[in-house]
Amino acid sequence: MNDLSSPFTNAKPALWRNAYLRFVLFGLLIATLPLFSSLGLMKSSTLNYIGNVLVYAVAALGLNLLLGYAGLISLGTAGFMGLGSYIAAYIVKDMGMSFWAALVAAVLIPTLIGLLIGLISLRIEGIYLAIATLCVSEILLKSFEQADSITGGMQGKSVSYPVVFGHAFNRSSTYLMLVVVLTLVMMLTHSFVNGQKGRALHAMRGSEVAAQAMGVNLLQYRLIAFSLATAYSALSGVLYVFFVKFSYPSVWNMNLSLYVLAAVVIGGLRSIYGTVIGTFVVWAVPDLILKNLPVVGGINGLPYIFNGILIIVVVMFAPQGISGLWPLKKKKKRQQVPQQVPPSGKEAG
Amino acid sequence: MTMLSLTNELGTVLQLFMRSLETGSVYALAALGIIIIYRTSNIVHFAQGSLGMFNTFVVTYVFLSFRLPLWASTLCGVAAAIGLGFLVDLLIIRHTKKVSPLAKQIITLGLIMVFLGLAPMLFGVDPLSLPRFLQSGDVNFGGASISHNAILNISLGLVLMGILFYVLQKTKMGLAVRTTASNEPVARLMGVPTRRVTLAAWALAGVLGCLSGVMIAPTTTVTTSLMDAVQVNALFGCVLGGFQTFYGPVLGAYIIGVGRNFLVYYVSSIWGEQIMYLLILIFLIFRPNGLIGKKFIKKV
Repeated sequence: MNDLSSPFTNAKPALWRNAYLRFVLFGLLIATLPLFSSLGLMKSSTLNYIGNVLVYAVAALGLNLLLGYAGLISLGTAGFMGLGSYIAAYIVKDMGMSFWAALVAAVLIPTLIGLLIGLISLRIEGIYLAIATLCVSEILLKSFEQADSITGGMQGKSVSYPVVFGHAFNRSSTYLMLVVVLTLVMMLTHSFVNGQKGRALHAMRGSEVAAQAMGVNLLQYRLIAFSLATAYSALSGVLYVFFVKFSYPSVWNMNLSLYVLAAVVIGGLRSIYGTVIGTFVVWAVPDLILKNLPVVGGINGLPYIFNGILIIVVVMFAPQGISGLWPLKKKKKRQQVPQQVPPSGKEAG
Repeated sequence: MTMLSLTNELGTVLQLFMRSLETGSVYALAALGIIIIYRTSNIVHFAQGSLGMFNTFVVTYVFLSFRLPLWASTLCGVAAAIGLGFLVDLLIIRHTKKVSPLAKQIITLGLIMVFLGLAPMLFGVDPLSLPRFLQSGDVNFGGASISHNAILNISLGLVLMGILFYVLQKTKMGLAVRTTASNEPVARLMGVPTRRVTLAAWALAGVLGCLSGVMIAPTTTVTTSLMDAVQVNALFGCVLGGFQTFYGPVLGAYIIGVGRNFLVYYVSSIWGEQIMYLLILIFLIFRPNGLIGKKFIKKV
């Protein structure tokens, strides 16, 4: 809200100071990629990898809300992504209903389970909570394998590109849909964390007791944090199934949840762009960059080894994640400090 | 007639129980590795399964390529596990004192990726198979038939854990481990060689992972996903038993092994495993720190 209040103190143009416009510009930038692909400047498969990054970035943003802002850890991302993808596929393919019905149901049902976990999180803490969420994820995964009639069991479930408003999408338009959804999710996340609810989550992470003393209802905000994170994961699963066009149980295992967690930590907690960059490092770097290197790429498995080492090195030498390395970030933080004081002063008065 | 069905029933229960003890031993060995790392390095070892998978690949490769007997191949795997454990600690864990506790867990994820990449690179992408230690032979008692190999696995698990707990509780070395686990900086100030303790812990966790891998390998094929279920169940064993003691996770792992098999056999072959996990969740709600967990005291 203070973004436009002091345009003269900063050399940047006022337009650039608006965070939402920056998100739109970012979205437009990645939306141009299919153009390069159709001009032959970029390999067609590259679009698939970038599309995957966009899909997983949505789930990672959800986990970043939960972990970065609320300080709660979840290893259930994969299960909820899978649940979202199977519900969407079932509604569109078996029930023959519209894309929108699938989207709403596939996001709502996992969110309700997320609310339940929010309730549990009042009792279970730290590593126990992480493994309890993993437990939920495993229950879902086993059910995906067993409930043949709905999920197609081990054979998996396939769908076609979505039909939205009577338009049958192809790969490029589905990609554009991913870009639009990710941009909207980034905007939503930005406005959420900078609003009153985001402040409350900040306070909760710092000290639950102090937050409660200031009138933050712990239960309410934990429920909000968990349901948002789950909704993001489920949305990500819906995007996945419509972009990749299939859903196998083996995709939704523990390692996926860990990869999402890695993307968040590598990108940097509480950084929206950082999360997208972290997702890119985890999912696109091995396939897109390392596999194309002259010697490294040729050997089976070596790109993944390099990526593993890259993750370890980032964690060891950049504890704030990649976004913490950004030189502008520190400057910006220093500028923001005086801006943060007046509103809280007003509230106290 | 009723007597006969009763003895049949008893036999089934006994057989199920023994089979559960066998899977329980596999989970318990893996869980013990996880808890030793957690207590000495404060890291939840998500790569315990991947390390075990890799070392099982070493065993299988040595067994198939050099035609060594299985016990000798297993020794090679154990040696590889010790070497890798040393390497992981010396190269990575030792330099992460300043890394936040959360980021430390991500390091084990990096390790998962490294070993998931290394295994197909060194040993190929085709699934391999590893035989059992004892090929044939069954014991019949009380209407249950149990293979010699299962008895070997169960007793190996119990004996190994017996030795480890004896060492932990009764020797000077064990005292060093326990003091490191309870408070690392103070232990270092008291002259406990905490660095060596941590080094040994990583090697030991590797060995336990390798052995659990070799035990589970004959029931399936040796692929990169060999240890996925073991890893998950060992983690659940840890929360069920509680992270505060060494024996809690082992107990938890055996409970999961037994509970899972009985639920799958008597309740539902489709939903048995999910019911087991659901029961763990419900149990955690009532005892948030596990079976033998002490309550955390939250400081304000």
